[in-house]
Formats: sequence, C-alpha cells, structure tokens
Amino acid sequence: MSQDKLWWYLLTPALLLDEQLALQQQEQRRQPQVLCENEGQRGRTVVQLNPAAIAAGIQRGMPEVLAQTLAPTLQSRDYDPSRETTVLQRLAQWLHQDIAQIALYPPNGLLFEVAGLRRLYGDYLELEQRLHQRLRRLGVRYVLTAGDSPLMARVFAQAGQSGVVASRSQRQQRLAQINIAQSLLPLVSQQRLQELGIATLGALLKLPEAELGARFGRAILAYLAELKGQLCPPQQWYQPPETFTERLDLLTEVSSWQQLLFPLRRLLQQLEAFLQSRQWSVTQLILCAYHRDKSQTQVTVAFALPLWRQRDMQQLVQLQLERHQLPSPALEIAVQAKTFSAREAQHQSWVAEPHTEKYAQHDLQALLGKLQSRLGEQAIRQAQAQADWRPEAAQLWQPQLSTEAAPADLVRPLWLLPEAQPITLDNWQLQWGPERIQTAWWDTEAVGRDYFIAVDAQQRQGWVFQSQQQWYLHGWFS
Amino acid sequence: MVGSVERVHNWRPIALQCVTNYSFLCGAGHPSEYVQRAVALNYQALAITDECSVAGVVRAYLAHKEQAADLQLIIGSFFRVPQLGTLIVLAKNRHGYGQLCQLISRARGRAKKGEYQVNPEDFQQALDDCFVLWRPCDESSFKEYAALLQQALTTRLYLAYARHFHADDATRYRHYESYQHDSGLPIVAVDEVLYPEPQRQPLYDVLSAIRQRQTVTQVRASLPPNAEHYLRSSEQLQRCYPQAWLREAENIVAQCQFTLHELSYEYPSELVPAGMTASMYLRELAYAGAKERFPDGLRSDVQEKLEKELKLIAELGYEYFFLTIYDLVCFAQQQKILYQGRGSAANSVVCYCLKITAVNPDQIDVLFERFLSKERDEPPDIDVDFEHQRREEVIQYIYKKYGRHRAALAATVIRYRLRSALRDVGKALGFNEQTLGHYLQHIDRRDQQLDWQQQLLAQQPGLAATQQGRWLLQLTEQLLGYPRHLSQHVGGFVIAAGQLSELVPIEHASMADRTVIQWDKDDLETLKLIKVDVLALGMLSALQRMLQLVAQYYQRPLTLASIPTEDADVYAMLHKADSVGVFQIESRAQMSMLPRLRPTTFYDLVVQIAIVRPGPIQGDMVHPYLRRRAGEEAVTYPSEAVRQVTERTLGIPIFQEQVIKLAMVAAGFSGGEADQLRRAMASWRSTGKLQQFEQRLIEGMRVRGYSEAYARRIYQQICGFGEYGFPESHSASFANLAYASAWFKCHYPAAFYCALLNSLPMGFYSAEQLLQDARRHHVTVLPVDIQTSTWQHQLVAQQCGYGIRLGLRFVRGIAEQQIQELLAQRPATGFTSLLALQQAGATPALIQRLAAADVLRTLSGHRYQSQWQSLALKSEQLPLFADGEGQTSKVQLPAPDEVSDIAADYRSLRASVKRHPLQLLRERGLMRGLRTAVELRHCRHQQLVRVAGLVTGRQRPGTAGGVTFITLEDETGWINVVVWAQTARAQRATYLTAQLLVVTGKVEIHGDVIHVIAGRLEDGAPLLQQLELTTRRSRDFH
Repeated sequence: MSQDKLWWYLLTPALLLDEQLALQQQEQRRQPQVLCENEGQRGRTVVQLNPAAIAAGIQRGMPEVLAQTLAPTLQSRDYDPSRETTVLQRLAQWLHQDIAQIALYPPNGLLFEVAGLRRLYGDYLELEQRLHQRLRRLGVRYVLTAGDSPLMARVFAQAGQSGVVASRSQRQQRLAQINIAQSLLPLVSQQRLQELGIATLGALLKLPEAELGARFGRAILAYLAELKGQLCPPQQWYQPPETFTERLDLLTEVSSWQQLLFPLRRLLQQLEAFLQSRQWSVTQLILCAYHRDKSQTQVTVAFALPLWRQRDMQQLVQLQLERHQLPSPALEIAVQAKTFSAREAQHQSWVAEPHTEKYAQHDLQALLGKLQSRLGEQAIRQAQAQADWRPEAAQLWQPQLSTEAAPADLVRPLWLLPEAQPITLDNWQLQWGPERIQTAWWDTEAVGRDYFIAVDAQQRQGWVFQSQQQWYLHGWFS
Repeated sequence: MVGSVERVHNWRPIALQCVTNYSFLCGAGHPSEYVQRAVALNYQALAITDECSVAGVVRAYLAHKEQAADLQLIIGSFFRVPQLGTLIVLAKNRHGYGQLCQLISRARGRAKKGEYQVNPEDFQQALDDCFVLWRPCDESSFKEYAALLQQALTTRLYLAYARHFHADDATRYRHYESYQHDSGLPIVAVDEVLYPEPQRQPLYDVLSAIRQRQTVTQVRASLPPNAEHYLRSSEQLQRCYPQAWLREAENIVAQCQFTLHELSYEYPSELVPAGMTASMYLRELAYAGAKERFPDGLRSDVQEKLEKELKLIAELGYEYFFLTIYDLVCFAQQQKILYQGRGSAANSVVCYCLKITAVNPDQIDVLFERFLSKERDEPPDIDVDFEHQRREEVIQYIYKKYGRHRAALAATVIRYRLRSALRDVGKALGFNEQTLGHYLQHIDRRDQQLDWQQQLLAQQPGLAATQQGRWLLQLTEQLLGYPRHLSQHVGGFVIAAGQLSELVPIEHASMADRTVIQWDKDDLETLKLIKVDVLALGMLSALQRMLQLVAQYYQRPLTLASIPTEDADVYAMLHKADSVGVFQIESRAQMSMLPRLRPTTFYDLVVQIAIVRPGPIQGDMVHPYLRRRAGEEAVTYPSEAVRQVTERTLGIPIFQEQVIKLAMVAAGFSGGEADQLRRAMASWRSTGKLQQFEQRLIEGMRVRGYSEAYARRIYQQICGFGEYGFPESHSASFANLAYASAWFKCHYPAAFYCALLNSLPMGFYSAEQLLQDARRHHVTVLPVDIQTSTWQHQLVAQQCGYGIRLGLRFVRGIAEQQIQELLAQRPATGFTSLLALQQAGATPALIQRLAAADVLRTLSGHRYQSQWQSLALKSEQLPLFADGEGQTSKVQLPAPDEVSDIAADYRSLRASVKRHPLQLLRERGLMRGLRTAVELRHCRHQQLVRVAGLVTGRQRPGTAGGVTFITLEDETGWINVVVWAQTARAQRATYLTAQLLVVTGKVEIHGDVIHVIAGRLEDGAPLLQQLELTTRRSRDFH
C-alpha cells in the first residue's frame, strides 16, 4: 500500500490570538483575552479566546457584551482574517523546513502530503514528534489529524479528533461517527440533512447516491467522492517567498527600540528559518516601526559579514539600535530582507556598492531615501499646508506628504517667524484688525489671539497679535 | 476698521439671525437660553431663525412668555441657497408667517426626510409680508440675482453684513459697500449667532463634527476660527458696525409685528350639518346616544352630569373636538373596527353617549370637570385606540376626508440621551467605538445614587486626568436633551380648517406617504392647538376576534359594552393570579399583586392597573394601600382636604391626578403651578425640571401641617410618575379592556387563547407560553395539519366544547398569500399526495417547509420521510404521469425519536405542542430531588428546595434595587425566582447564560404568592445535552 497517499491536516483554531499571546509577558497572558468579529445582527461576537477567558465562562460565538460582563477585565480586540492568513503563511514557512508539500487553507489550516516523507523519516512517528516539538515551541494550540483524503483529514480536524496514528479501517470507523455539523458540508446541506434525521456521516454514506444526488444536487456527490478519496482536487503547494518581509502587531504602543527587541527576536527567528531553508545569508536588514498616525520609521541595519543565525543578527541589531531613537510610539514592527547571498559565496564589500550603481537612475525619491537612511528619518522634511486656523500649525515641516486641504485664502504674511516674539506696542501703529483666532480647545495648544496688521517705526508691515495682555510679532508682510 | 466711532449709550442690541439647536446638530443653544440671555443683555429684539424650520420657535415663545420682559420675539428661518448664499426670512405679520411656513413646506417637500431644497425662484414669489436678509455667497452671484430679487421683494430685501472678527471682514465690507453702490440695496448689521454665550464654542464645534460624521480635528478647517458667534452686548455690537447699519436693523424690528399668540386654530367646519351650531349638534348627538346607552332612561344625576359637561364644552368652545372624534369612531363602527377612547376627557358621560368610550362613567367616580378645567384653559385630551391591523384604515379615512393639505401628524422630537450623546461626542473627540462601548457598559442608568459621570469615573479614574476625557464628560453632559431630529408622533393628527401649511410647516416623515408638522405635542399644547390621537392597540384586535368567535361558535353575540359586568367568577379567577393573556395585568409583577389586592369590583381593577407602576412604588404607597385594603391599618386622612382627594383610594394617593391635586390642596400650588408641575412630570427625563418643585412642595406641605416624611413620599411619587405617568382616566379605560379579556378567559377559554394566538405578536407572552397556559386550562390543542388547518388558528368541536386547531401561520418562514392560494385548491377530502400539493400550486420549497414542520403527516408519513420525499420534487413543470418521483424512493428513513421531534418542532414551528422537555428529563430520572412548579404550593414557608426550569424571562426592574426576577418554566407551570444582586454577581456566568437553570433556595409563600429566593444557581446545560436539545427561548433583560 506504499503508493497510497496519506494526508495530514494541521488546524490552528486560535492562530491569531496564540500568536499575540506568544509575544506577551507571562503575567499578561493570564488575563482573559478574546478576538471578536462583527456578525451582522448579532453584533460583535467572540471568535478566539485564551484559556483565561475560557475559565471565566466565555465561549466561542458569545456576544462580546456578554463576555465583557462575565470578565470585566477582558481584553477584546478585532479579529482580522487577513492578518491571520499572514501568520499562517509564516507558519507554513516555518514548517517548510520539515515538509516539502504544504497547502494553505486560510485562515487557519495547513494540509501536508506525508506519504512521500515516510522514506525520509522512516516512520510517521518521528515526523509527528518533530511537528509537535516545533508547534509547542511556538505556543500555538492545534489539532493534527490524518486522513486518506485531504477532506477526510480536514473533517477529523474540524471534529477535533487529534491523532495521526491509526489504521485505514480505524479511520473509516471514526469517520462514520462524525456529526454532520462537523462535516464541512455547506451550512444549508447540513441543516437539511439534520432535518431529515441524518445526524452522522455514517448515516449519510449509507444512502443511495443516486437518490441523494436527485435531492441535494451534484455538489454532495462531489463531496462524497472527495471524502472517499475517489476525487482528489489539485492542491496549490506552498512556495516560499523570494524576499523576506514580516510584520508584527505589537498590540500595545511601544516607545523605544529597546522595548522592541523582544518582539524583534521572533521576527528574526522567522528570518533564520527562511534563510535556513534556502541556505542563504544576509548582510542588510530594514527595520520598520509603524506609528498610530500611519507614519513609519525605518532603520537600515547592515552587517559586516553575511549572517543567518537569529542570535548573531539579534546581537548586531541590538548594538546598532542603541544609536537610534523612536520618534513616536510604535504599534507594529516589520523586518525586511531583500538581497541574499548563498552561504558559501564570498561576501562582497558593501562599501563598494554605490560605485556599481548609476546615479543617473536615481530619482529624487531614491536620493531622499538614501539621505534618510544616513541622516535619519526626521532629518528630511517638506513644507506642508495644514487645515488649521493657528498660523504656526497651518504651515508645518512634515516628514512625509499629507493631502489635507488648507483653509481658503487668508491674509497671511509671507514670512512667519518660527516663534512669536514679544514686543511692546509703542513702536507700532495698528492698520487693520482684529482677526480673532480662538481655536484648538481640543488641543493642548489652544490659542486665543487678536491679530492686527501693523507698521513699525521703519514702515515695515508686520503681523502682530495680542494674547493675554501681551503683544507679539508673528510675521512680516514686507 | 468698520465699527462706529461714537457709541450710543443706551442703544439696545438686536439679533436678527439666531440658530438654535432645533437646526439639528448646528446651533448650540436651546431656544429658551437665547431668550434668557437676550433679556439679560437688554436686547430690544431677537429673531429665532433655524435652518428651513420653525421647530424651535414655540419653545422660544414659551420662554418669552415666562420671562415677561420687554423683548420683541421675531419668527423667521434661514435658508442656504447654492446659487445665492444665505437668506434669512423674517415674518412681518400673520400673513407673512403663513408665507414663511409655505416656503418651508415647499422646500422640505422637494427633498427627503430631514433635508430641503430651495431655488432662487422661491424668493421671487409670495413673500410680500416678509423681510429677506441676504448674505450673497460671492460677487458673481450678487450680480446675477440682485436685480431679480430686488424686483420681487422691493424694499423688503436687505444685505446682511456680519462681522465676527474673521480674516475676510474687511474684504467683505468693501464688497458689500460696492454692492450697495451698484444696486442701492440697504445694508443691515446682522450677527450670525450660533450659540448664546462664547463658552459654547466647543459644543458647537463638536456638533459640527457629529453632523459631518468626522472628528473635530478632521473638520477643523470648516469650523469658525473663533468664539465670537454669541449674543454680544450693545457695546460690542456698536464697535463692529456703523450706526447706520444698526439703525436699519431697528427699522426692520419696528415693522415685524407678528407673535405666535395670533395663531388660532380653526376647526374643520364640515362636521356640522348646515343650519345648526356645533353646540346644538353635539347636544343632539349626545342625547340620541344616551337613549341607546341608557335604555331604561337617564337617571337624574347622570343627566345633570351630562348637562354640566355640555355646558362646559360650550363655554370652552371644544364642540368641534368632540365632533371630530365622534366622526372617527362612527367610521370605525361602520367598518366594524373595534376602538376605545381614553384620556382625560374620555371618561365623561358625553364620550360614553357618543360611544367614544365603553367605560360607563357611572362605574367610576371621575369628575369630568377635573380634566377639562376652565381655569387651566388647556385643550382636552382624548386618545382613541383602534385595532392594531386596522388603524391604517382610520388614518387613510382622515387623509381622504380632510385632504393631505389639511391633515398631518404631529412630530416627536428625538433627543440626545446618555447613550447617544456619549457615543457621538466621543466619536467627534476621536475616541474609538469600542472604548465608548466599554464606558457605556459600566454605566447603570437606573442607579439613582450615582450620576453617570461619577459611575464612569469610578470605573475609569484616568479619564478626568486627560483633557480629552474631561471634554468628553463636560460636552456629553451639555449635549443631553438636545434635539437630534424630528420623528413622527405615534398617531397624533392635526387637522386644519384651511391650508395646514399656513399654520405650521409640513415635512416628510421617514414612512412613505406620511407627513409631519414641525411641532410636537408640547408645542401644540402651548399654542392651544388640538390634535386627535389615533393609536393602535393589539388587544383590541384580540378582543374583536374573541367577540367574533363567541358569536360564531357559541351563538352569543356580544359587544364590548354588553359583556356582563362585575362577574364574580372572573374576579375569583384573578384572585388566583390566573391572568396570562389578560390585558395589562398579565406581567409577573401584576400577577404577584393580584392575590394581594384581590380585586372584586371594576374600580379595584382600575387601581390594580395603576398601582404596579414606578409612581406608587417609588412613593412607597403600595404597601400602605394593601394594608388598608386588608383592614390591617385604619383608613385615616391627614386632613379633610386630603380626604376629598384620596377617599376613593383609601387615603393613599395612587393616580397622577391625585398627586397633582394634592400639590394644590396640601402644598398650596396654584392652578398654574400645578399645570407646570404636570408638564414637568411629562418631561422630567429630558430636562430635570422637577427638582425646582421639590423645595416648594415639601415646604408648602410642612407649612400646612403635614409631616416631612409624608411630603417626601409624595415628591418621590411625583418623580416616579415622571418616568411613566399614569392617570386614573387611562387606567379606567385599560381596566375596561382588562376586564373584558379576563371575562373571555374565564368563560370561553378556547376562544380566548385562539384569538390571542391569532393576534400575536402582542402582550407579554410568546405563543409557546400561551399554549402551555391553554393546556393547563384543559383546552385541547391540535397540531397544524395540511388537511384541516387554515391560515389562522381556529376552534374545532371536541367531545366536550371546543379545542384549538393550530393554523398554518404557526409554521415558520412561509407567506400567508402562498398558503391561502394553496388552501383555495384543497379538495374537500384533502390532498392525496405531495404531487397533488404541487399541482395545487405549492412550490417545492414551500412543501419542504411544510414537511419540516410535520404538517404533512397524513400525506407522506413522519417529518423525515416527508422531507426526503419532498426534496425530490423538481420545480420544473411535471410530466403528467401519476406515479410521482416522490413515491419511488427505496429509502425508508427511521422516524424521529421524541426528543428530536420536539427539537425539530422548535426549529420549524413557533412552538411545540408535544411534551415539555423537562417532562422528558424527569421521565429519564435526571431530575431527582427537583420539585415541580405545582409541588411548590405544598411546601412549607422557608423550606429549602431545589427546582429547575427553562429560563423564559429575566427582569431587573428599575424599582427593585438590583434584584433580578427570573421566571423558570417546567411542564407544570412557572416558578418565580428572586435573585439578589450579590448572588447574581457571585454566580455571574450561570446567571447570565444558562438556558436551563437549577436553583437551590428557600420557598417564600405569602397567600397565593410563591417565590423561590435563590441561593445557588447551576447551569443545567449538562442535562439538556443529554437530550441534545438546546433551544433559545429566553426573553432577556429589557
């Protein structure tokens, strides 16, 4: 029976939350936490929950409001399937070290074709041990099942029947007992079958196929064929990416690079796995921190030697980051690596690199990018108009472009002083005013000023204002 | 600089454009605040000008009347016209006001609810008694339209210059001067007032952000740059504008002479036959009716009362009001629509004779005069309830009779409450929705000790430390009670003699084909305009059905008025709290009161209905009343005056009218003050107006020798009424329906349940609960069957009496029309096969639904087999051979076991008529040691018991101090469980989520009232899992 295929299926029912938990300190992990999703009329409901939440009596599918009532200290976040899929890809990449043929079932399942691996591992037990080991290290909750068809393996996983060492006949027996609700049939078919009193796959498999087809259509016949392995739809095997980009949600704001080192370690572990499976090494990383206002801070870290071990990279990254400061708290971080070299190849001198490149091809963006990486993100700025009544806030030097519209044409001096200077009004003659600006009460920099156009003794036209009994010069018209 | 050089010392300021919060999400001040502020600043005139609306003017008018100051109130409105800029229209006189209302109605009529659309042409016609003040949007607009507008409006057109220290003040000044130079139009100084005082700028900004559905920082460019748009002082205004422009404002003010006082309501005249006065006609109708109502002749005292009422009506000129309602109920009689009048004027001999109400005023001692009072001069109040499904016919009758230009619904102003205010302010300040939701969860609005801010700060102490948090607290508090939009009143119609839109603007409601006026019921009351309330009541539909069933099946034709009164059997039934389905006294609280109050007369029912309400409960009047009724406490009165008011309720004030009357006789309130108190009670929730009366009431009563404790209880009761005011007159009308439904329940239970089931959804109980109650009353309930059922439930003859055959409306997810078409094809002998069903027009999908509901038993076997067969039916045209595919299947599916069958019933029907799940559990020996509802009656008081049941209700009434009442249901009845807050907290998960609850606790037995005080709560889910039955039938907190 060696040519028979065997399929394993790995279901990670709380992948996204587990990933987030792995980044947390022990203490925080013990707090009840859930991920919620909007479910139409029912409002937000719980889709993933940690053991502490389960202990508090919270269940999957429960309305968030009820969960909050059961555990007042509950931390509730949004469930994002696309984010979970990203984590799943990372998981696939990680396991790709052991298994060549992996198919992704987003957002939380992986299918392995393992028959071919038997020769490599001798017996499935060893492969199973290895997978358990890796998954446990990641701290992910999972179900691992085996089936004679991909669908059978998935159905077992759905039913929570963990275990991969069983004979074919044992599997058939187990399959017959699976409840229709776990069959992975479309919901409508499940309901209809239940309404007929057909509660298990066993009962379904006993019915004559022609009559089933007449009542449920071809789809159910295709399902049965797939389940029995008579029909095997082609699988999209996982292809590891050519470049490495991984992003990590920090869940809370982190205000310094130092605090980012722990989460970075996880990304660098990922990178190590990436490099390991390809026998590559790397000399340059781009670290990116994402801020609340959608801006980002980039730091390029270069190594003198090609590296691939997480430990080595971590050390150097740590060293280099000590020189940098985070301009504002970060919500997410990412690690990118784009150029690689084979491990045995001689490393090139990266200092020589600029000479080989043609400056003519550099557009402004590239130049700016370079300047930014050398001088730091904040050193390169651009003048921006802002929609704000406060003159000093209406013209800003901003690190990146923003498309906000400015208020309509106002009488404003060409030259606005960086900071208003206190003056005495004796030397000035008021020409026009006041223009009263009282705004930004919501801000810490609320203002209340009466602006006038005035001329000084030298007949220069200036922009002056009064605020709290004191006069200031804020700009020059001429 | 454009200000005047010399100041006129005693010049009194004028505001010609004030935007109040009735320009929804725009102005940041109540109309009354503008009036108060203007009076304080010695304004000579104030124009209330909301955007395409006069919704706020009555509030301003009322405040103006209360202030009684030398301030002229001008009524107007402003419009944004895309081609023109802003136009402010002010009414010169009554005629001009009518023109303004017409203009608003036209503009609103063109757009969907809440919006309006105006064109330049609108200002070129029919505004000859209005001033139009124009702020052109730019030069080209001025050039294009100035001549046109000038031609139409001549000297009534002005350019309105505003200066609020903006950057473009000088440019605009120069423009306006050149406009004037070119056209000769006068310029008038018109401040654009957006809030009464500068401190409101943040609120204004937040409202703008809410309107634009963005945060304040996102919309900051569109916000005014400063806080200058308030009511400024004389000095400040003179600094801003040349004297000449201010004088133009004075000219305008001098010519505006209109006040809302001039509006008078003219009744539709077609109701009175030619050659008669309204008074004569009403008298004629009343006496004609009296002959029918009192076939044995009018008793002299009743006639005296009738005469007195007619005289009073004539004196106050309300004949047309009664005639209008008479006309509606005549229509209802013709159409055989059941109705019932209620309200202050309804329980009168006149209304009884006109058949507006069926409550014989002889049965209840309510003085008509008390409600229609000469000195208070307020419009009478009569609500008429009609059968729920048929109210629309009455509404259409009104539209048809008077026309859409003469009849429209009153508005209801939807206001900000804590939940909406905190959410909207929070979003505008940039809080995310989850955070706000979290905050709101921790606020218990019923907590009377801590206000919402204290509660929130207790949970989130950090909030006050941030600026954003402080703004959130402050601005939310300010926003509470602000109007948010107009909605339609449930059924209050205003009917005019001529064009309604000359009285008040009309706009679209969200419901298609409905129009609403811009004023709500308080506004109408202020202006003494009359509305007729046309409401819908589900119980009337049910009673109509009961009357029909009893006439048809028991050959006993009855009307509401001819149901035998004061039937001892009916009261005996109620003493046992056997009142499921009975109007108004079926709730759990009412049920537990019935055995204590033991109503034995109609008036007892009136009290019963009114006593289980927040008013008497908060005033701690319930127990004293019960003690006095039981003879455990002597009936005494603190004074003769109090005796007169409270004698009929044993010296304990129960009704709203009594409490108001007490304020007059015991605390010395004048008629006017009492009236203010009554109004404040109606609006306590939104404005907190009641507090101002607290001191006055308690002091007044103390001075007159009443104890402070008694006075405080009266005040508490007033506060309770503020939430759900419940007057005696309403209670009497409700008692009439309660008695009628109880009478049917007692004497014709099958008809009673059948009619109720056909009238769902209504009332307190689900179909499931009604069915259980029916069976406990030995009414046979037969399952739905395709061969005999109709759409509705119906009565069928049984060995003794009648049972109920459930109708197909019980099946979930099918449409009435489909079924009616199918049943029309049903042969007398019934259908013979599934194929026959299909040939009669049923779609395969419908047949599947019927099969799932186990309705096809007689046709194709049990529900599994029926469905298996029905699934083979194809929707294409069938080949014409008799042997349908359904019959050829070799598969024989096993029949469902009992549990699966019940579970399938719950899925496909609105209830199961099979056995109760708990009976199955008990049968399997899974409920040892657990007592049934019936067994509890034989327990000792304070005995420790364990009970279990499906949770059918969780209630936490605001009056019960954190106690939750849980209703459990088993196969024998209902068990009332009381859960103290502490128990609930300790066993929160079980308390909140269990569907089957196992309770260990103590029985409390007081007469016929049985409660279990919960000690331990267990989730019965494991038991249910044994049955693999999980149903969700609980009615949660509401």
